[in-house]
Amino acid sequence: MKTSPIEFEVFKNLFLSIAEEMGVTLCRTGFSPNIKERLDYSCAVYDAEGNTIAQGDHMPVHLGAMPLSVRAAIDAVRMEPGDIVMLNDPFRGGTHLPDITLVSPVFLGRKKTPTFYAANRAHHSDVGGMSPGSMPVAREIYQEGLIIPPVRLVRRGVIVDDILALLLNNVRTPDEREGDLAAQIAANRVAETRLHDVVSRYGRVKTMKYAAALQDYTERVVRHAIAGVPDGDYSFEDALDDDGFSDTPVPIRVKISIRNDQAVVDFTGSAPQVTGSVNANYAITLSACLYAFRCLVQDDVLYNAGVGRPIQVIAPEGSIVNALKPSAVAGGNVETSQRITDVVLGALGTSQPERWPAASQGTMNNVTLGGTDPRTGRRFAYYETMGGGMGGRKGMAGLSGVHVHMSNTRNTPVEAIEHYLPVRVRRYGLRQGSGGRGRASGGEGLVREYEVLTETSVTLLTDRRRLAPYGVLGGLPGGVGCNTLIRDGWEQQLPGKVEMTLKPGDRLRVETPGGGGYGEP
Amino acid sequence: MHSRLGIDTGGTFTDFVHLGPHGLVVHKQRSTPDDPARAILEGIRHLTGDDAPLDVVHGSTVATNAVLERTGAKVALVATRGFEDVLKIGRQTRPELYNVFVEPRPPLVEAELTFGVDERLDASGAILQNVNEDDVNQIARLIHVRGATMVAVCLLHSYANPAHEQQVAAILRKSGLSVCTSSEVLPEYREFERWSTTVVNAYVTPLMDRYLAKLEQALRTPGPPASRLSIMQSNGGCISASAARAQAVRTVLSGPAAGVVGASSVAHAAGFPRVISFDMGGTSTDVSLIDDEIGTTTDSKIGDFPVRLPVIDIHTVGAGGGSIAYLDTGGALRVGPRSAGASPGPVCYGVGNELTVTDANLLLGRLDPDYFLGGRMAIDGERTQRVAEALANDVGLSVPELAEGIIRVANANMERAIRVVSVERGHDPRDFALLAFGGAGGMHACEIAEQLQISTVIVPRHAGVLSAFGMLVADVTKDYSASVLKPSTSLTMKDLEAACAPLVETARTELEMEGFPPGRQVITRSLDVRYIGQSFEITLPLEADYREAFDQQHGKTYGYSNSARPTEVVNVRVSAAGVTDKPSLPAIKRVRRATKATPTAVRPGRLGGKNVRISFFRWDDLTSGASGLGPAVIAGGEATVVVSPGWRFTVDGHGNVVGTR
Repeated sequence: MKTSPIEFEVFKNLFLSIAEEMGVTLCRTGFSPNIKERLDYSCAVYDAEGNTIAQGDHMPVHLGAMPLSVRAAIDAVRMEPGDIVMLNDPFRGGTHLPDITLVSPVFLGRKKTPTFYAANRAHHSDVGGMSPGSMPVAREIYQEGLIIPPVRLVRRGVIVDDILALLLNNVRTPDEREGDLAAQIAANRVAETRLHDVVSRYGRVKTMKYAAALQDYTERVVRHAIAGVPDGDYSFEDALDDDGFSDTPVPIRVKISIRNDQAVVDFTGSAPQVTGSVNANYAITLSACLYAFRCLVQDDVLYNAGVGRPIQVIAPEGSIVNALKPSAVAGGNVETSQRITDVVLGALGTSQPERWPAASQGTMNNVTLGGTDPRTGRRFAYYETMGGGMGGRKGMAGLSGVHVHMSNTRNTPVEAIEHYLPVRVRRYGLRQGSGGRGRASGGEGLVREYEVLTETSVTLLTDRRRLAPYGVLGGLPGGVGCNTLIRDGWEQQLPGKVEMTLKPGDRLRVETPGGGGYGEP
Repeated sequence: MHSRLGIDTGGTFTDFVHLGPHGLVVHKQRSTPDDPARAILEGIRHLTGDDAPLDVVHGSTVATNAVLERTGAKVALVATRGFEDVLKIGRQTRPELYNVFVEPRPPLVEAELTFGVDERLDASGAILQNVNEDDVNQIARLIHVRGATMVAVCLLHSYANPAHEQQVAAILRKSGLSVCTSSEVLPEYREFERWSTTVVNAYVTPLMDRYLAKLEQALRTPGPPASRLSIMQSNGGCISASAARAQAVRTVLSGPAAGVVGASSVAHAAGFPRVISFDMGGTSTDVSLIDDEIGTTTDSKIGDFPVRLPVIDIHTVGAGGGSIAYLDTGGALRVGPRSAGASPGPVCYGVGNELTVTDANLLLGRLDPDYFLGGRMAIDGERTQRVAEALANDVGLSVPELAEGIIRVANANMERAIRVVSVERGHDPRDFALLAFGGAGGMHACEIAEQLQISTVIVPRHAGVLSAFGMLVADVTKDYSASVLKPSTSLTMKDLEAACAPLVETARTELEMEGFPPGRQVITRSLDVRYIGQSFEITLPLEADYREAFDQQHGKTYGYSNSARPTEVVNVRVSAAGVTDKPSLPAIKRVRRATKATPTAVRPGRLGGKNVRISFFRWDDLTSGASGLGPAVIAGGEATVVVSPGWRFTVDGHGNVVGTR
């Protein structure tokens, strides 16, 4: 059946607006600052095989991983109408344990199997494990929190109380979790209703046809963009500072082979998986590659499964870019994903330097705080990530104080932090001089200084504290980040990855990296 | 008696709607962007001579353009030390996810005019550190040296306690500087949004002050001494010019707001209290939902900058009659956001070479070539056909298929916009009529209504000057708010009433000063409520059972609610209206019985996916009660209505075209 370029735009709008409406619902009804203030979530619609039809412009690091979660849910659970499957297992399409995904089937008419799926993934600020906030410096995944395989959270429209109770009894902030899960359920319900509307208006056959055509279309656009990169093999290497347990850098190596309109991205030669939590599972590595190639296309095409078709990703099992159970992975999603992006973009940059920026901050600067609020006697677990410098681009300095590449979460307002947590923010600003100098300079990093008002456990999961974001074409590297403890007037530099307990009055200063410079200064 | 005059200054035309001794008169005058007042004065002279005292209500894009074009005042920022970069950082996000060449967004305040002052409050408003007055004196001196026109004072937690901001402002004012503080502009929590609103205010206020001073002066000179000037605000009400001169940020989105006020007035008069207003212009389309009352939001932006004051909830999409159609690299047909605008305009105007939505309407026979814009504009059909053939060839479609496609793609964009203001806010569009205006609204109304299963469309008689009309009927309104941030269980009705009391008092005093005695004041009190832990609030009337009302509204909007979850009150709001005399819409010539309208021509065209014979009518010839069946086109001097097959149209007592199916 032939598709029309017109129906096409109509369906593109329809599917995208469904993903966007899911996001609006999740944000407006969410409870934890991480969802409602920082928008740390993604929403998307899938076809019967679990291929993405449309994903909202939410979190790039979820791009490649979400469909693997949907696939895992399909494989593990025989879904019935009204069911919602929940999972967070990083080795079955998850990213890291705090990211909980809900998958809903959409049944049409009397069909026995779902025609579509809707899914959303949100970062919960605690899922148990050895430290508040569930982003610990851990040695194995069992320390990181509760592992949820694909299970029904909702069965035929009714919440499965046993499962919910099991989950809520294993986390530090059960009220907040329950509220956030309600918001996630509501988001999926929105998608179910809307998909039914679309099908009743256009018919099942036509809707499915265009769901497929939208993927083909994105594939064509991406192939067209890859064909614009000269054929050849492009290699690049960079490294994570360390894994939090030793001082040894963790190298990531890539060779990208471009042949006509196809690309092979091969990570052979990257470090083996490590003791600490910076291991990336395959889903994350895939996300980083898909993001990089999506950036090749400058039109506002829909992000969907079509992006991945021209791209083959080779990630050796047991390596830092395809770690196996039971390795710890909390930081793979947030830190290693950024470094993978750095090497992929670095390699593409060797073919066409004018099209790519120098390295951006290359970390998300994860800060997790937990303890008991003396004002209420209740436990709190708070998580946030911080922006930094973007790399300089041809003719344009990098942006300052923004999230780069795999993340785009917002900050939490200072006034909100101080209202909800026993924490005072002493300083929040740009870190002057941290951007690498160049013909176009890298953007500046951020500095945030927290003073805790009660005994507080803190976990820092940060990188680019030793190895700076690279500059290109003679541009200087960006300034490395720095974590500092200020206690009784003394300053002490902290490692990039650390867990510790702060006393009331202690201050923690997090300075984030600047972007690399572009071209000789 | 005073006659009333609404004046809407737009980019191309300045629109006038005058209600005087001779009834309602509409006038259009070319705008004079170098000095907008000139067109205004010429228009007034044309309409009224110098005979009667005038109440002028004015809306302009002066403040809007100042922000969009970065031509506002030189502003200094005084912030809590350590937080001077808050406005530069914003919410730390990049505006486009996959664009590594995303452009930087320069802040409105230059680095050398950004200052930090030692002081600190905590979240409850308690003082942790006093204001260092030496700091402030030094800053005042530097601002004088570096030459800023206006200072924005933005300190942390000032919503909870404005004392420090007032102290700093007093010192700066004493040194001769003009100052606004974040606690007087928007006393609500979240520093970035509050400060941004404050800085936008500082950025546009001096400019508006000058512009309005000049306009007041000019109005006084030729006109009668009793002339009064009011200014339209983004919330749909107007305020006296002197109040607007003090807080110009309240006027930045006034143009589209006035359109919605006009739409609401027309809709009510026509007997449709629930409508979706749909204002389709050349480059963009504004959509808003009126559920008996006009909806407002505090979540809006001007350019890149959040402005968190109550404004009419309008969703804008970058597609209009002038939007350009093209084929992208993946072979999809796209429409907009690039627009041919007024220059070069659509292909059929004779200059442009890129096919637009208007051209597509022409190709489908939906425009009256002899009577476009009431015959004021000649259109070139052959030229359009030539350009269309080239593009149709590239797409592999016939010209009519291409033209229909362009309309469908444009309509899909509009439909998405309507979903944002309806479905996303918990409203079913089928419960509403579609009120279409702007130059192109009436041409798309029926088809969009069909997509959304809406059964009634209304195109107002004055579809081309509805914003100016809205100004004529706007009340004087003022909004006030204060942060509460306390759990509902710890608040009694008395507490909430006490929190509102000072706001109500200020409101009454200010309305009195604007000339509204207590009998013409309408004060409403409301609360922003959310479940404890959420970040987005629902605004509800202040009533004893607000808690139940909240659960209900939450369930309606988001699909679930939980009466066991504790709630908190974030803000109290007071909205005060001074009720103006409303003009009644003039009736048009009436005939006793419904009559079948007689077309001026019948031409072939395409509608509803079929080749059809379209009946053409002249709007001015249609009397009240005239009716007919689609396929039809009703051509007027300000707008054209396309009536699809399956629709019946009737001209109502005010000359509006009402379509039903």
